[in-house]
Amino acid sequence: MSEFIPVKFCNGCGYPIILMLLNKILKEMDLSAKTVLGLDIGCSLLAWNYLPVNTFQTHHGRVTPTMLGFKRARPSSICIGCTGDGGAYAIGLQGLAHAVKRDEPITVIVVNNTVYGMTGGQVTPTSLHGQKTETSPDGNNDYPILGPEFFKPLANKNAFLARSAVNDPKQMIEYLKKAIETQQAGHFSMIEFLSFCPTHWKTNGIDTINYLNNLKEVFKPGII
Amino acid sequence: MIFKILLAGDGGQGVQTIAELICRTAFEKNLEVTSIPNYGLEQRGGASLAFIQISDKKIGYPKFSHADLLVIFSNQGRERSVQYWGKNTKIIDIKDFKAEIENRKINLQNLNIFFLGVIAKILEKKKIFTVADLFLQAEEKFSKKINWVEIKNILN
Amino acid sequence: MKNKKFITGSDMAVKAAIDAGAQMMYGYPITPATEIFTGWIKNKQNFLQTESEISAGFAVCGGVLAGQKAFSATSGPGHILMQDGFVMAEGMRLPFVLFAAQRGGPSSGTVIYSQQEVILACYGGNGEGMRLVYSPSGPEELYTLTRRAFNEAWQYRFPAVILTDGYTLKEKSVVDFSLIKEMKNVPAYPLISEDKVIHWPNIFTAEEELYHELVLAKADFDKISPLVTTSESIQTGDAEVLLIAHGIVAVAAKEALVQLRSEGQKIGLFRPVTLRPFDKVALDKVVGGKKVKKVIVVESSFGQLARLVKDALDPTLGKPFEYIQYPALGIEVDAMILQIKKLIV
Repeated sequence: MSEFIPVKFCNGCGYPIILMLLNKILKEMDLSAKTVLGLDIGCSLLAWNYLPVNTFQTHHGRVTPTMLGFKRARPSSICIGCTGDGGAYAIGLQGLAHAVKRDEPITVIVVNNTVYGMTGGQVTPTSLHGQKTETSPDGNNDYPILGPEFFKPLANKNAFLARSAVNDPKQMIEYLKKAIETQQAGHFSMIEFLSFCPTHWKTNGIDTINYLNNLKEVFKPGII
Repeated sequence: MIFKILLAGDGGQGVQTIAELICRTAFEKNLEVTSIPNYGLEQRGGASLAFIQISDKKIGYPKFSHADLLVIFSNQGRERSVQYWGKNTKIIDIKDFKAEIENRKINLQNLNIFFLGVIAKILEKKKIFTVADLFLQAEEKFSKKINWVEIKNILN
Repeated sequence: MKNKKFITGSDMAVKAAIDAGAQMMYGYPITPATEIFTGWIKNKQNFLQTESEISAGFAVCGGVLAGQKAFSATSGPGHILMQDGFVMAEGMRLPFVLFAAQRGGPSSGTVIYSQQEVILACYGGNGEGMRLVYSPSGPEELYTLTRRAFNEAWQYRFPAVILTDGYTLKEKSVVDFSLIKEMKNVPAYPLISEDKVIHWPNIFTAEEELYHELVLAKADFDKISPLVTTSESIQTGDAEVLLIAHGIVAVAAKEALVQLRSEGQKIGLFRPVTLRPFDKVALDKVVGGKKVKKVIVVESSFGQLARLVKDALDPTLGKPFEYIQYPALGIEVDAMILQIKKLIV
């Protein structure tokens, strides 16, 4: 069964890439029925009717505590929380830190485009030093948080924390698989995906890809 | 006098741009004017609606039930504006202009400018302001753009 | 020289804050309040985007304690988080000024419009609602009530909410600034200063201590209420049907009133301007009018304004009430007239 649902993500957005690869892996691992996908309120919310998987929206910054609640109630489920860099590292930082610290067996996907997309492109904790946005008109004063690295000291040795990018599908697949296997083994997993945002980067075509590749200089892909 | 205009198209078609021009023109003529866009979740795509009211008296509520003039830029615009069709609504629909747009070889990117010209003529007939008034505002806004000549031609 | 501008509600709010002498804004992006933040920033004012509305709220409290005219702006789910800091301001009598732009609720609702944050603004938090809440009708009033909010918060030491909505902020209209009266600013002053040592709790050991604090605060609130409470009564003298509406819904109600009056209907409108304190005296007078046969409360909520009205109203008046309720939906003039007519057959 396939139903055509018009895509609400902007042209060139990285979310569809992440979601489609996630779906591919869940299918291959035959986990679609057990999976529950929770969404932050930001661009991630647009995925609410996207995959053939139980999906629900939560509140901005609160997908982590919601998913750990679901998982504790139904340990056989595969709980995935999807959020942006603002939802994960600004308003959701406390929730995420404590989930890592307690080694909650959920998987958090952080889609990092260095801006608050849905509200118009404001600065976030991963905006680069000097990055100009509506709320950093003279260039961002501080330096970006490196999420997985930041949480690593809190993590159980069997937890999985990694970073990839939406133009590295092979790596994305490898990490998504590992993240889910980590959850199945009872530990926390998170992957930060560097993601396209031509709308707020104000880039076209090849410039978008170059912008992303430049981000990799700061946010190093790999297993943390 | 009060005149209610609803522009309905897709995000990215320049609906809000021409709404601003119409409003600026009315404002410069010392008329009362209000405008309010629709807005939803998506940053891009989605429908773009502009509710405009022009009057000689202070305007109150910015939205209205039925438009006097409805300009439809796209299929999505048409769907999203159906509830605003009243008995006396004049409808300018892109589907009725396909031929003219093709004949005059108007670039779809400049569709909003084309409709601006159409709207200007209607507003001139209603004695709200003249095409020249609108032209002045358009010139101020667009003359720095490279394709100003093209835009001028479309407006004429 | 024309002193008119074609301007958005958000820019009116920003201008009012600047003219009020506001010095610092703590904010967080949330539709439809973001443009107050970005507009403030565009005017090169001091600001900080915090990691959430909770921090923004407490940072405002911090600034205010130091004597700074600090403020914030938020909406919906952000308004809920902002209540954490705002209620500390309520407990400690801090002049916290907040723009709350109502959007659809509950939960993430819509990013657009509603009148569903009335109870949150008036009674949010774990207290008794001793805060000043202003509900502007239209952009000019958004400006003047913002000026008042800053003044009255600092004058009377109660936190203040300017309760607006997404439509009012996004709407662009012609504003004649020459018609807006000059206002003087009440100065801010440090609540904690170097030349004096004070010790200031917001938690107490025994029930009686808190009770005592609350009695004092209430006495102050009741004392200043007549100085702050504001409402507008339009054609209520001979009204048989009384409409009650606030904010942008009252803008439409005024137009509906004109139309219905021209058709011979004896309609009047009572418009609370401050929701806290509520103008109980004027309300009782208007509802108690000899000719009033029916009261209709109109709002974009399932009865949050109606609750305030019924709470304030003298229970012995006994007039029949009807309700036009469209939660999270705009109410156009024509639609309102249609609904009113159905109720006054």
